[in-house]
Amino acid sequence: MSLLEVRDVTRRFGGLTAVDNVSFDVHEGSIKAIIGPNGAGKSTLFNVLTGFDQPCEGTVSFKGSELTGERPHKVVLRGVARTFQNTQLFEEMTALENVLVGRHARTKTGFLAAALRLPGTRSEERLARQEAERLLRLVGLEEWSESPAADMPHGLRRLLEIARALATGPTLMLLDEPAAGLNNSETSRLADALYRIRDAGVTLVVVEHDMGLVMEISDEIVVLDRGSKIAEGPPRLIQKDPEVLRAYLGQEADDE
Amino acid sequence: MMRAKLLRFTPMALITLAIAAGPLFIDDRYLLKVLTFVAINVVIVTGMALLFGYAGQISMGHAAFYGIGAYASGYATTTLGLPWIVGLFAAIVFSAVGGVLLALPSLRLKGHYLAMATLGFGELMKIAFIEAQPITGGPDGLGGIPYPRIGSFEMAAPVGTYLLAWGIAGLVLLLVRNVVTQRPGRAMRALHGSELGAMACGIDIVGLKVRVFTVSAVLAGIAGSLYAHLVGFVSPSTFSLHLSVILIAMAVVGGSGSLAGPAIAATLLTLVPFADAIIPGLSRDALALIQDWEADVYGLIIILVMLFAPGGVSGFMRRRRAVARDAS
Repeated sequence: MSLLEVRDVTRRFGGLTAVDNVSFDVHEGSIKAIIGPNGAGKSTLFNVLTGFDQPCEGTVSFKGSELTGERPHKVVLRGVARTFQNTQLFEEMTALENVLVGRHARTKTGFLAAALRLPGTRSEERLARQEAERLLRLVGLEEWSESPAADMPHGLRRLLEIARALATGPTLMLLDEPAAGLNNSETSRLADALYRIRDAGVTLVVVEHDMGLVMEISDEIVVLDRGSKIAEGPPRLIQKDPEVLRAYLGQEADDE
Repeated sequence: MMRAKLLRFTPMALITLAIAAGPLFIDDRYLLKVLTFVAINVVIVTGMALLFGYAGQISMGHAAFYGIGAYASGYATTTLGLPWIVGLFAAIVFSAVGGVLLALPSLRLKGHYLAMATLGFGELMKIAFIEAQPITGGPDGLGGIPYPRIGSFEMAAPVGTYLLAWGIAGLVLLLVRNVVTQRPGRAMRALHGSELGAMACGIDIVGLKVRVFTVSAVLAGIAGSLYAHLVGFVSPSTFSLHLSVILIAMAVVGGSGSLAGPAIAATLLTLVPFADAIIPGLSRDALALIQDWEADVYGLIIILVMLFAPGGVSGFMRRRRAVARDAS
């Protein structure tokens, strides 16, 4: 069954068409990668999928009902979490607190209940803490729990953002360039974490430049070029697709 | 565990006891009145700490809420002849409405632009206080505001108002502390850290900003009500930009992410113009000098804090604690 349906999505900025009539499906329990050269429209598409931006045309449906037009925090409540290309951590808060903020979507204590310490707030707080600690262990950051996010090395910050996104209790998680700036050992650690997350029942969509990682982990790949989808399929077919080689891998080879 | 808890709560308990017992060993009426102003400023600065130190929003118009609270309470108890508690309630309701109104620009504006918009709000309200003569008494002010009273029990200055103001300040600090240490407090700090990140965590940042602005406005309104009943007279000149700037100074000197820091800063900065109350034998000339240069003294303090202690009082306390931890 397809969990996410993207239909004819177009997003224009003035005269520039950043995403041009893109459609694809994401199947439950799979890892889907979106690749494409710089400026292909990947991040714009990501923002449209998560409510941070709205399409000019087209729709996005999640679990069979429309997601387009929902504000970002509502999208999170529906079960779609995301990370950012430039990590958006809460720098002065500890790793544990960052993940606890992720639990916001699944907890209820409001101003009044907190001020009066109404029954239930304390147990909710305790359960949220336990869950946050569990997620830090899942991504292997338990030792950093009390460190401010600002003090953590870059590679671990990406893992922390993933743990925070997981804390929102998502069915679908969108990762925007999770391997950017990671070294080889950090990338393989990331791949392990992604498998564990998928095995825990979370469907993944990954925008990524690291071809090794994309080819290794993804079940299916969507290739964007200048806003349009030029190919879609499993990694071994994408690798041979002449259109992709010309538009994307060719250009990549020129760069290096 | 028990010892750690004891160590944490003992200083709080001692401070509370010392404040509560204040009137027993202070028989100087002037000093008690000054200390009542300290309590009032602790209430208002706690709202500023929420807004500025936790949620990372700025308001340069908070004097307006102080004024709204003072006039609402004053009008209800004098012109309308209603009981004090109704006046306090009116102060809360009207400052809350003002808070929601001020929250609206905050949804679209950030940083300097938000500062300008809130500054404009403050100035608008100041003009409204002058122009709404039938309610506020215009430039002449509104006088004859009675002391707080419940039934036949009057809380007169200085002892009654002192205990009332500190009672409310203590309650406010306790309730707000509960807020900042739990889910809503984390959401505010998240908003401060990264709005995008906060949204991605499912935080309704619009709703959160409106709540924070409203709560901080209500705290200023309560402080305004206390002020009106303590002094008995309110006039527009009190609720000026000057006051808003002093409030920001208290929040900045207090440091972000803390309630104790701003409360301590509010205490110290409130005492500046009343230096004669705490320094016995301070000459009249010296006091006049301090009062004339009050704004400059505040400015100087802000600059020094920014240069040498960017974390303010709370940052200083955090560093002291970290040093103590490393040493043990």
